[in-house]
Amino acid sequence: MSGRAAGRVSALAAKPEVQPYLDAFVLPEGEPFWLWREREESLARFAEEGFPSRKNESWRSIDLEPLAKNPLFPLAEAPQALAAAGAFQGALLARLEEARVEKKGLLFVLRDGRFDPALSSQGELPEGVRLGSISAAARSETLLRPRLKAPSGPFAALNAAFFRDGFFLEIAPGTILDQPIEIVHLVAAAASLSLHTRSLVLLGEESRATLCESFIGEGRYWRNDRVDIALAPSAELSRFLILEEGENAIHFDETEAVLGEAARFSSCAILLRGRTLRQETNVISEGRGARSVLNAAALLSGRQEANIVSAVEHHAAEGETRELVKIAASGRAHGAFQGRITVHPGAQKVDAHQLSQNLLLSPRAAVDAKPELEIFADDVKCSHGAAVGDLDEAQIFYCRSRGLPQREARGLLIEAFLRDVLAEATTPLARHLSSRLSRRLATLEEEP
Amino acid sequence: MTLPLDSRETVRFLAEEGYKYGFVTEIEAESAPPGLGEETVRFISGKKGEPSWLLEWRLSALAAWRQMTPPNWAKLRLAPIDYQAISYYSAPKQKTAPQSLDEVDPELLRTYEKLGIPLKEREVLAGVAVDAVFDSVSVATTFKEELAKLGIIFCSIGEAVREHPDLVRRYLGSVVPQGDNFFAALNSAVFSDGTFAYIPPGVRCPLELSTYFRINAAKTGQFERTLIVADKGAAVSYLEGCTAPQRDENQLHAAVVELVAEEDAAIKYSTVQNWYPGDAEGKGGIYNFVTKRGHCRGARSKISWTQVETGSAITWKYPSCILEGDRSIGEFYSVAITNNCQQADTGTKMIHIGKETRSTILAKGISAGRGQNTYRGLVRVLPRAEGARNHTRCDSLLIGDRCGAHTVPYIETRNPSARVEHEATTGKISEDQLFYCRQRGLGEEDALSLIVNGFCKEVLKELPMEFAVEAQKLLAVSLEGSVG
Repeated sequence: MSGRAAGRVSALAAKPEVQPYLDAFVLPEGEPFWLWREREESLARFAEEGFPSRKNESWRSIDLEPLAKNPLFPLAEAPQALAAAGAFQGALLARLEEARVEKKGLLFVLRDGRFDPALSSQGELPEGVRLGSISAAARSETLLRPRLKAPSGPFAALNAAFFRDGFFLEIAPGTILDQPIEIVHLVAAAASLSLHTRSLVLLGEESRATLCESFIGEGRYWRNDRVDIALAPSAELSRFLILEEGENAIHFDETEAVLGEAARFSSCAILLRGRTLRQETNVISEGRGARSVLNAAALLSGRQEANIVSAVEHHAAEGETRELVKIAASGRAHGAFQGRITVHPGAQKVDAHQLSQNLLLSPRAAVDAKPELEIFADDVKCSHGAAVGDLDEAQIFYCRSRGLPQREARGLLIEAFLRDVLAEATTPLARHLSSRLSRRLATLEEEP
Repeated sequence: MTLPLDSRETVRFLAEEGYKYGFVTEIEAESAPPGLGEETVRFISGKKGEPSWLLEWRLSALAAWRQMTPPNWAKLRLAPIDYQAISYYSAPKQKTAPQSLDEVDPELLRTYEKLGIPLKEREVLAGVAVDAVFDSVSVATTFKEELAKLGIIFCSIGEAVREHPDLVRRYLGSVVPQGDNFFAALNSAVFSDGTFAYIPPGVRCPLELSTYFRINAAKTGQFERTLIVADKGAAVSYLEGCTAPQRDENQLHAAVVELVAEEDAAIKYSTVQNWYPGDAEGKGGIYNFVTKRGHCRGARSKISWTQVETGSAITWKYPSCILEGDRSIGEFYSVAITNNCQQADTGTKMIHIGKETRSTILAKGISAGRGQNTYRGLVRVLPRAEGARNHTRCDSLLIGDRCGAHTVPYIETRNPSARVEHEATTGKISEDQLFYCRQRGLGEEDALSLIVNGFCKEVLKELPMEFAVEAQKLLAVSLEGSVG
């Protein structure tokens, strides 16, 4: 697929880290004109803003220097069929298998940033559910236009300019889905690259769905993922994210969820593998009585850095937010949490609670926490708490007095600490998530 | 006697009753022409007859300031300040330095009278040594001799530069360097006067040291510089209180306070800040940009900040502790009230460097009217701070639906043996508590004041007696009109 170069944008004077991306920019063929316009606008915005600096409050705990020095480009061509990708095949299929929650569940695979029908499950979709490639949907439906507007923020803009695919999930009003929909973001390409996937989730009134997204891959790449979620009144979405990226991978993902009246959004992210991870969730509570639950856990070691970022904006009355973020850092890992809850004028009776708990497991690990409250209404109940420390000696002693070796005792306590965030998961999912967590914990303890 | 500082009433008073301390003393002031450049710095330095090293010090601060931009990270909305439109020096006209109180301008003394500063005989009864600063120059210092017997130096910075140059040179700028931040650099370049206190080893200062800062001449920023050094095993409690005349134009205040606590030393620094907050429409009021920092240099040293912030249109203030000595202690107790269009962005920084260092933060914010109140605090535990401990609590109370209360804590931990805890709540007065009080026969107003009083109590009890009186004064006036 060769495309049209965007001369208008690359002529802009740009910051040095931006220029390579301007040069690499092409407009995909066959797309509607409005989408081209959005891409060009987004690219111009990215060119203007450049990479966020350390002075940017939202990005202060992540080192973008390596990425600025060694740009990673998106794949220009569609990837070959997996059979041709060769060497990786066996190992990757095994990892894909591991990432499954249920063997027979609905599966949608994005390989190297593009929908791969061969790897995805072919089964029939339940009634009222639409699941497909966003790229295909955008080509045929102008209705998506307002949903794919250029977002703010430099990397979201870069994503909007470069995205080639993503998933599009639409649940019809009144549809109740008990089985989780599984999305696997798989990186199979041998070369270093960046992947910009942009996805859209729309839930109709009084519908309910569960989404489980796994991010897996090997080697060095930069994933820049963006998801927009819109929940109609009384819709309910539970979303789970598992980050098991390649050892040298950079993962940024950003979600924006807009909640209608009495809608309920719950998000649970588990950050396990990858060199640099940034998980951002923004919730805009527009409807009265909208509720959100934002949970996240990170288990870090070596030189991993992870940044969990969230912002909840309460624009309507009677909203509720519960946020629980847990970070356990060992080795020389650096974990950071930045969460903000804003209650806008008039959003009375909002009940919001934010809790950040962190474990420092080694002398060289580091944890930062910044739980933030911004309150412009008086009749609210908002609170936050944060704590940092090591495992409790008394608890370790208790375990050891019951015959557990030191290592196992520590492992047990760390796992118990992190598993709190899984409270929203139902049985098959909870089992899957905690097995991924245990797996990661086992490798954590092997490190010197 | 109870101490019912009803904060809610206080803010109401500030909104409705006008400003009690709004009077202007007419004294001929000798001012520098507006503008800031090398000449201004040389003018100030020359006026004060400073040695060349201090002039150099000021000039390097000016050079640093010119490279800096005003900070914009605080949650404050203000029009850009034209630093060239401000006059950087104003001194009450005096032919010679006063030898006794009789020589002091009587107009000035009456000003103090109105403020209730215990000069003359009352000073002994009150047991307070007052270094009264009126528009930048220290006019009268009391109790100096008594303190001198113990080896305590308590004088204006200007005097200290002349008489104790070695001490000043050793400590000035050692906690807040000239280029620390925009406002500290500005202060370092143009500071006019301030207080210097040195407590020699092993001496516990028998008096509460106190200074009243007062801004007077119009369009004059005030740039105080305070330096307090407690040598090994010394202890001192210092009180600072502020009131200012009513003005329409915003007045800039950029003070720097440096505290140094050597081994086993303890410094307690208390502030009641009650500057003109502007009128109900947000017109006028003081811009208060203060850099306050204490350095616990020696082992087992302790620095404690207590502040009651009720005034100023803009408050930008983060009294901090650098806990370098092993087992040193930092404390921060704060009540901040914003009403009408007042904005406060205040908090603290606790930097844990030494082993087993401990810090406590207790911040209470009350917002009313259209006031915006932000707590912004940093707790940083460095890798060497084995066994460090911090507990932070900040609570916000909202009165009315047009105000804002914000909490922005930063927690950065680099040592696994450290325990850091932060908790914060925001809300309006609990209906349950109100109901309970009313059920027991209290009127709504009384119930409210009881609860608000309880809300701030933990901080107010940290205030020394002298300030408890000031706090009561504020309360007494604020209760006028609310009863009957």
